[in-house]
Amino acid sequence: MSIVLSLLIFVPFLASPLVYLAFRAGKNTGIYASAALAAVVLVLATYVFWAVYSSPPPQGQYLLTERASWVNFAFFGIDYYLGVDGLSSPLIFVTALLTLLVVYGSRKLIDHNEPEYYALLFLFEGAIMGVFSSLNLILFYVFWEIVLIPMFFFIGIWGGPRRKYAAMKFILFTFAGSTIMLLGFLYVYAGVQSFDIPDLAGHIPVSLQYLPLLASSIGFAVKLPLVPFHTWLPDAHVEAPSPISVLLAGVLLKMGGYGFLRISIGLFPNASAQYAWVFLALGLFSMFYGAISAILQRDLKKMVAFTSINHMGFVLFGAYATLISGNLLGIQGAIFQMFTHALAIGALFMLTGYVQHQAGTREIPLLKGLGTTMPRTATVLVLASAAAMGLPPFSSFLAEFMVIVAGISASIVTAVSILVPVITAGYFLWMIKRTVLSPPEPGSGVHDMTLSDVGAFAVYLIPLVLLLVASYVILNPALPVAEFLRGVAA
Amino acid sequence: MSDYLAASIVLLAGTSLALPLLQLVKVKERNLPGYLLAVALAIAMALVSLNTLSPSVSPWFGSLLASDQLGGVFALVTLGVTLMVTVASFETRKRLSNSVYYGLLSFTALGMLLLSYSQDLLMLFVAWELMSLPTYVLAGFDKTETSNEASVKYAVIGAMSSAIILYAISLAYGLTGSTQISTVVEGFVSNQNALTGVAALLFVAGFGFKMSIVPFHMWIPDVYEGAPPTISALLAAATKKAGFIAAIRVLLALTTLFVITHNPLFTMANVFAVLALITMTVGNVAALTQRSMTRLLAYSSIAQAGYILVGFVPFASNPASLAASIGMTGAIMQVVNHAIMKGAAFLAAALVLTQLKRGDLGAYDGLAKRMPVTAFTLAVCFLALAGVPPLNGFWSKLFLFLSVVYGQYGWLAVAGILNSAFSLGYYAWLVKRMYMDEGESTERVKEPTWFVIVFAVAVGLIIGIGIFPQQLINFASGAVPNIFG
Repeated sequence: MSIVLSLLIFVPFLASPLVYLAFRAGKNTGIYASAALAAVVLVLATYVFWAVYSSPPPQGQYLLTERASWVNFAFFGIDYYLGVDGLSSPLIFVTALLTLLVVYGSRKLIDHNEPEYYALLFLFEGAIMGVFSSLNLILFYVFWEIVLIPMFFFIGIWGGPRRKYAAMKFILFTFAGSTIMLLGFLYVYAGVQSFDIPDLAGHIPVSLQYLPLLASSIGFAVKLPLVPFHTWLPDAHVEAPSPISVLLAGVLLKMGGYGFLRISIGLFPNASAQYAWVFLALGLFSMFYGAISAILQRDLKKMVAFTSINHMGFVLFGAYATLISGNLLGIQGAIFQMFTHALAIGALFMLTGYVQHQAGTREIPLLKGLGTTMPRTATVLVLASAAAMGLPPFSSFLAEFMVIVAGISASIVTAVSILVPVITAGYFLWMIKRTVLSPPEPGSGVHDMTLSDVGAFAVYLIPLVLLLVASYVILNPALPVAEFLRGVAA
Repeated sequence: MSDYLAASIVLLAGTSLALPLLQLVKVKERNLPGYLLAVALAIAMALVSLNTLSPSVSPWFGSLLASDQLGGVFALVTLGVTLMVTVASFETRKRLSNSVYYGLLSFTALGMLLLSYSQDLLMLFVAWELMSLPTYVLAGFDKTETSNEASVKYAVIGAMSSAIILYAISLAYGLTGSTQISTVVEGFVSNQNALTGVAALLFVAGFGFKMSIVPFHMWIPDVYEGAPPTISALLAAATKKAGFIAAIRVLLALTTLFVITHNPLFTMANVFAVLALITMTVGNVAALTQRSMTRLLAYSSIAQAGYILVGFVPFASNPASLAASIGMTGAIMQVVNHAIMKGAAFLAAALVLTQLKRGDLGAYDGLAKRMPVTAFTLAVCFLALAGVPPLNGFWSKLFLFLSVVYGQYGWLAVAGILNSAFSLGYYAWLVKRMYMDEGESTERVKEPTWFVIVFAVAVGLIIGIGIFPQQLINFASGAVPNIFG
């Protein structure tokens, strides 16, 4: 039995009080301690990613599993049960990478209550690792809820002018969604007497699948977010400090996509397949809704937030396209999309923080001549936008392409989805035209990011380029997952 | 054969009688009575724990007391809360009359201890009064207008509930010729008629006043607000639990009873289900609109009573089922957890009221900067009360809701879960006020050491039970078989 996954969860949990104390000793000590601990977690996560890549677990099986009895009562038990496969390992890796980058980015952008901030950051990271590696529904739910608490404080304490409203809206939406999800889990238990994901997958009678599918999908739809459950997201994103928006979009939304794949499809496959068209349509609607709403935004950050809704729609669309057509590219593409979206949108959100920090505003019409006044920022902005648009050489192109192909093999009607990347490219290019290519306000000097900041942004973007060449590091381990999900749904 | 239980009863009785006498002696240390009571309570708790490990019944008690684990759970909870209140009172009760105050606390503790183990209706009634009468005085201990009002209101309502219980007992005796609970139950079930249903409903009403079940809850917010805040903690976290042990001993034994003869709609299970639904909903909705912290906590405590009742439903519908044992385990866990969460929350509110001289919610704006330990304790208690994992409240709710999903009362689980989500509306809103809003000042306010110790223990228990719930589950489930009598 390996303890890597436990370390992945508990190193951040233990790091939380440590960095708190380190920051009490001094800001620099705190930053170095946080960076070092985040790097340790990244090493562990890389190991997990590598392990899954080098020997992908066969269909319906998991690697690095750990199991211990946690709670026992009469003849029911809740196990501390962990494991990873090709669905969770990319998300674990990207969580660790983004956390390290957020530690770096927060250095400049967070200027008060640092000890609490970094302590909560690690609490968040540990909980996310728990969500992605739990194989027991109750354990999953416990980690799922722990995630809410740091995020509530992040938005409410370090956020913008309407932070309190946004924080309350965030916690009420997501808590309501997740309690309904828990109800679904309890219903499953009453019927099948198990909380273990590997035991349940493919073994829940069809008649017991409908209600829990509905209940858990509401929980995941709030997180993803799926229109019409999305209204908390623009508020949360606009008010959250930029480094936190990176985690919100890069990691927290992935919990929704992960939940749909692992639980809605994995545990309730037949009901999912029966209603696949509904989910497919909702995903498609989210894609269009996010893209069209993004056009209208004046705030750069809000535009990126709606892009997130648009991109996460692809995940749902791809996943359910596979259920309808049997084309595995859908689920593989969905997993790939979650990974690339995390990095591309992460870079964009962090950039909005830098733009706000240096230009004092995020209003697109007010940002003029970035190409002249902030050449480095402008370059990174153009590159990150290209990644978000799905332009080669960034692998987001491949992810969206795979999802759309799967969609078309489900039905030719869904070929309209090809319009979404077009609209996305349209509003990003328009934004670039207005901000980067416009003439600067007379008298504005140069106030740009440092070279080391540019280096940090390269860390977001380079993996995206590499992955277009070496897409197999994600797609190979994702294949058994996709085959398994298609198999149980058939 | 060791008589731990008898020893703890004698100890508390002795303390109760001795403490008021200390007023006649001149002592320098004003907190001496408090210290003595705290030590006595700690010893009593140790004795009760020993008794729970190796139960023994003293021949003195005859058939009056049942020395079982069920009683042990409730005795430990109620004595533990009294100990918390006593320690917190070291700071708020530094007056000369404090020996009387602690004496009364001691009497209440003795009453709750006896009530936890009572298995005879008369013993139960005597213990009930022994517990209640001192709290009427304690509620009015501040002698302010609101405190007096609370005391009178509480005494009148308390007298009414006692009268109702007494009437139910007289019916029970008349119908079965016994006051022994097990005999009464046998008689009731074997010979059901209209009067047995009336007696059962009278028991529900009488105990319901203490359990704070809607519609018997009207007095709660006024009394909790008017009474000295440490006493509100005692009422919400301890004497309320005493109502539940009485209900478990008497009512749950009557489960198979039809309230109206042989009408399948009017079973005890349905009575409990409806009461649970109304109680949690009314509590949560009313809590949302409160302007004062003690009132808000009072309504939240009503809502929590509704959750406990949820666990009674599967038991009342089929006592032999797995759902019943999950539900009762959940209910007993919730009793323990609620005592810790609500006790600590009320004491934190008491501290804020003492230090800031304000009890309205405005006093809590920006509290995290002024009283960080208190604010943190409150935040943890609130999240636990809302059922957020990994805190203790999550586990009891998980058991409670699982039991009704299992026991064919799925709609009650839906209502309960939606109530939990709804309740976070005011709990998270309070956390927001403490941590995100600006207060009238950011000056640090003193947080006395005794309070900090109580808070640390409570927060430690809330998080500790949340992460490692197994011990509590074993403890609670071990008490369930005792319900069958």
